[in-house]
Amino acid sequence: MSAPDWTLEALAEAIRAKAVSPVEAAQECLERIGRLDGRLRAFITVDAEGALRTAKECEADASAGRWRGALHGVPLAYKDLCHIRGLPTSCGTKTSEYFFAEHDCTAVARLSAAGAITLGKLNMTELAMGPFGDNFHHGHARNPWQDGHVTGGSSSGSAVAVAAGLALGALGSDTGGSIRLPAACCGIVGLKPTYGRVSRAGVMPLSWSNDHVGPMARTVRDAALMLQAIAGHDPRDATSSRRPVPDYLAGIEAGVTGLRVAMPENFFFRGLHPEMEAGVREAARLMEKLGARVVEMAIPDPQVMNDVATIVSRCEGTAAHARLARERPEQVQPVVRARLELGFRISAYDYLQALRLRARLTRAFLREVFAEADVLVAPVIPELAPPLAHAIEGTVEALTERQGRFARLTRSFNGLGLPVLALPCGLSRGGLPLALQIAGRPFDEATVLRVGRAYERAAGWSGRRPPLD
Amino acid sequence: MSQEPTQPPSRATSQQIELANLLGVIERAGDLALSEEPSRFAAALDDAAEAAAEESER
Repeated sequence: MSAPDWTLEALAEAIRAKAVSPVEAAQECLERIGRLDGRLRAFITVDAEGALRTAKECEADASAGRWRGALHGVPLAYKDLCHIRGLPTSCGTKTSEYFFAEHDCTAVARLSAAGAITLGKLNMTELAMGPFGDNFHHGHARNPWQDGHVTGGSSSGSAVAVAAGLALGALGSDTGGSIRLPAACCGIVGLKPTYGRVSRAGVMPLSWSNDHVGPMARTVRDAALMLQAIAGHDPRDATSSRRPVPDYLAGIEAGVTGLRVAMPENFFFRGLHPEMEAGVREAARLMEKLGARVVEMAIPDPQVMNDVATIVSRCEGTAAHARLARERPEQVQPVVRARLELGFRISAYDYLQALRLRARLTRAFLREVFAEADVLVAPVIPELAPPLAHAIEGTVEALTERQGRFARLTRSFNGLGLPVLALPCGLSRGGLPLALQIAGRPFDEATVLRVGRAYERAAGWSGRRPPLD
Repeated sequence: MSQEPTQPPSRATSQQIELANLLGVIERAGDLALSEEPSRFAAALDDAAEAAAEESER
């Protein structure tokens, strides 16, 4: 077995059984990066030297019977907004050292403590602002399923690296859909955890109220393994929750018998591409066959929370990056600059009202939806991954509107702070990934993963690989 | 009678329209109670998780 076939879990087991060495695993990933990344553009920084050094240390530890953790010797890579000492953090901007933190990003530090090897830093949309995965400074990430189509963003490189077998897993961040959109476009699994479940310390902020850090992987079990390592309170992130972290793999194979799965009647299926709609509805039918009780349900209008979350994001994004917007605006892509400019024009009154309204809407949503359902199933993207050239053409106004439409199914869940898993549900006739998202109760990642795993096991989509080799 | 060609709106005008659309949500929400403070969001997540945990124990 080689890198394109490994799952994170299978590789970790093979390393533990000494069937594969950490150095072999790292070398294989680096070889694939060297061979494929010139065209895929998943990485901004490859740290071959550091990866091999850590791999050798892991190998020595393994020989001595010292196991660092569940991810011992597994090569991972991280979105280039995670601060890692010794490596630059561009955040997708023209400035190679745009973001600096006092400490390593907590999520990366926890994965490293569990034994993971850092391959490097991954491409992303500039300042994590934009859902298509384009980047004029570092090159547009390329969709491994069909070159010329968008990868989704902003965690574009994370999705491409995982889909192409360049890394076994990756970290992304999600402020309006930035983990789920690229996962959907690239046919992989992405989890936006509950707000507060994973520390954002050491990660470039875009919107403190809406930012989430989460795993991107090939399978639901792999995402659960990564979440296990990164979840939990962090004194360096005041918003991180003190709620105990459960064992995410313990009940993951329990199936869906008796669980109530809600399909929203309103909003999510309006104007959807027919193949996307068919894929998601077929997935729900399969869940029903597996024993779930699937019901259609009218949910509180997600567009209201979309607008609230957008107001908050625009203000906080501008506050976080005001210096760049004011002092070096010419270095920023026009559409990103327009978003930053908008934040300067929203009053403190409107920002605070949006935050207050968010709390009200969240309480209402939780009360109305989760009294009747255990999870909510919906599409992630309203259309198939569009051609990149078309997605990024036109005026700033046209592009802004197109971006808003593309991310309209994901953003409300950032406002709500709920755990949401995106996973593949087939391929279109033309070979582009279809995807669904499963949202659950706050801090109930375990049920979301359990439903995703039951579907994944029955549907078998996670075994498919893009045609690269 | 000849008609003036329609000009696309300027960037500033487009932003005003975008902003007005966005902020409409605040107006439509009406009055918020004094107790509705932003921190109630995190509390809502915690309360729901707590209630679900208690429910599953029963």
